[in-house]
Amino acid sequence: MIVRPVQVSDLPALMTLVQQAGPGFTTLPANEDRLTHRVRWAQRAFAEQVERADADYLFVLEDDDQRVVGVSALAGAVGLREPWYNYRVGLTVSSAPDLGIQRQIPTLFLNNELTGQSELCSLFLRHDQRHGSNGRLLSLGRLLFVAEFPHLFGEKMIAELRGSADEQGCSPFWDSLGRHFFQMDFSHADHLSGLGNKSFIAELMPRQPLYTCLLTEQAQAVIGQAHPNTEAALKILQAEGFAHKGYIDIFDGGPVIEAPIHNIRTVRDSLELSLSIGTPDDQAPLWLIHNRRLENCRITVAPGRRVGSSLVIDRLTAKRLQLQPGNSVRAVPLPNQQQQAVAA
Amino acid sequence: MLVLRPVEPTDLPQLQQLARDSLVGVTSLPDDREHLSGKIAASCASFDSHASAQGPENYFFVLEDLDKRRLVGCSEILATAGYNEPFYSLRNRHFTSASRELNIEHGVPALSLCHDLSGHTLLRGFHIDAALVRTPFSELLSRARLLFIAAHAQRFAEAVITEIVGYSDENGHSPFWDALGKHFFDLPYVEAERLCGLQSRTFLAELMPQYPIYVPMLPQAAQDCIGRIHPDGQEAFDILEREGFETNSYIDLFDAGPTLYARTANVRSIASSRIATVREEPLIDARGRYLVSNDALHGYRAMVAELDYQTGQPLALTPSLCAALNVSHGGTVRVIAL
Repeated sequence: MIVRPVQVSDLPALMTLVQQAGPGFTTLPANEDRLTHRVRWAQRAFAEQVERADADYLFVLEDDDQRVVGVSALAGAVGLREPWYNYRVGLTVSSAPDLGIQRQIPTLFLNNELTGQSELCSLFLRHDQRHGSNGRLLSLGRLLFVAEFPHLFGEKMIAELRGSADEQGCSPFWDSLGRHFFQMDFSHADHLSGLGNKSFIAELMPRQPLYTCLLTEQAQAVIGQAHPNTEAALKILQAEGFAHKGYIDIFDGGPVIEAPIHNIRTVRDSLELSLSIGTPDDQAPLWLIHNRRLENCRITVAPGRRVGSSLVIDRLTAKRLQLQPGNSVRAVPLPNQQQQAVAA
Repeated sequence: MLVLRPVEPTDLPQLQQLARDSLVGVTSLPDDREHLSGKIAASCASFDSHASAQGPENYFFVLEDLDKRRLVGCSEILATAGYNEPFYSLRNRHFTSASRELNIEHGVPALSLCHDLSGHTLLRGFHIDAALVRTPFSELLSRARLLFIAAHAQRFAEAVITEIVGYSDENGHSPFWDALGKHFFDLPYVEAERLCGLQSRTFLAELMPQYPIYVPMLPQAAQDCIGRIHPDGQEAFDILEREGFETNSYIDLFDAGPTLYARTANVRSIASSRIATVREEPLIDARGRYLVSNDALHGYRAMVAELDYQTGQPLALTPSLCAALNVSHGGTVRVIAL
């Protein structure tokens, strides 16, 4: 398995993949025109032909038979072309000590504070591939790419996790808040949002802070709660140092998790090592390895043995990375956990 | 014989009884001896003042049954709402959600805390004995204030407002309060209103939400309270509505009761009341029922009377009416049909 930049020739496979992901996968809708457009932009981004504001690094996970089985993406920056909105969960205190009144009321503040930060997005792994280290490769491979090319990204990496919704896709947060200002159901708004109308929609929302005590109890309960489907992705990123700092999605109340890029485990702990071909022993730990190239980026997971400033890997791994002995790699030990990222 | 007059210090015990019987939400009349005694003193000072302009005065009137020496109602005029402390209301206005790209445009009503009604003259504290509800005497108790304003216009604003008690159920629960105020105070409605009467209302208002409250986000029961009148407040509302007062976009911040507003000069009892010269006569061939008042300050009196009044003609009053109104032959009174 390798992670590599998407190519135009991947389009048919990509289309099949996003169809399997279903309509909830709004950032990568099964729409041929939009998909084609996105793939072309991604190619330009990997060729360093676009500004950070427009950079959309779309990766695919490919098996040894050159079948595309997963997809994930990195946005160079959010909010530089059109406003990027979140709510921040802040606090209002209502206090009258003489009367024994002291009320703390969580309050939602609409803001653009994450403008310019980079985003992890659009991750989907085919159901039958959710085993071994595939999920971690698809998700963390992006972070190793960031470690190699930090100048292409902002100070922080963020990820918006899908919020809580019932089996019918109804979001209690939306029903208690957004719906009043749009007169449309969540799936429609979510669809428009996926089509790139997110800022138009946000502009319909009230600018003033909102007291959460005025939301329904169901809505209050899901503020900052990720959809159960995203739990695996959340755990992988939490292990990397991502945390919820109070930002949530304005539509479904899902958490935005974030980490300063230099603090992300994969970025911080990654090493520049010289590739050497040999036989790592059976007990050798798994490494996430990047060939340090941009346009011809290849990232994989393989057992490796570190010897001084060299990383000993087998011949097949080197072939997957399109590298020769003596070439430089960026590598980091893969965290030892069995989590399969399937979203975010 | 029932006469309306300014409150006096000796009224305190009876006033306290009235306060005990008054409707929750009439926050200016708390059942608290010290507080009431302060109100009486402030009112006496107001009637005694030589105000030549609108100021902090609060004029407190009582309705007295002269035969039984008993107080049966009270009402007040605060010359200037928000004079000494901010006067808060909730403004109910539309927030417009518009997107040309999505072809969406619609308004969402939102309640915002404001001081917009500061500076207006405020009618308040209307309370009448249950036996006199919907009699000419409740008209007297309410409208005598308007005749007083007509007589002393320089002391009052160009607009007059009043807040009508909003809806609460028989157990004193206000759905509006439960949906809004309670979150910020953690107090039951009745307790909040009691505190409002005792402490400064401003004090509590400052704990209220400073950001707009979007109406569709409130529970339906609370939305239904917006502008809804407590059944016991209906008469106070009806009387002033007939005077030309109208509801506007302002509501009470605790119970969402409506605000009534009128230009002072357009209020019926102010615009249409007439001055007549008194002719004392032993008997009156009454042709109609009127509100009649003298134009005094401290000695202000107002009554309901059966009179024979013709515009421009002297007005015949019996000696007992003259005595009750503190007027004598050749003096003047203000008169308007009931």
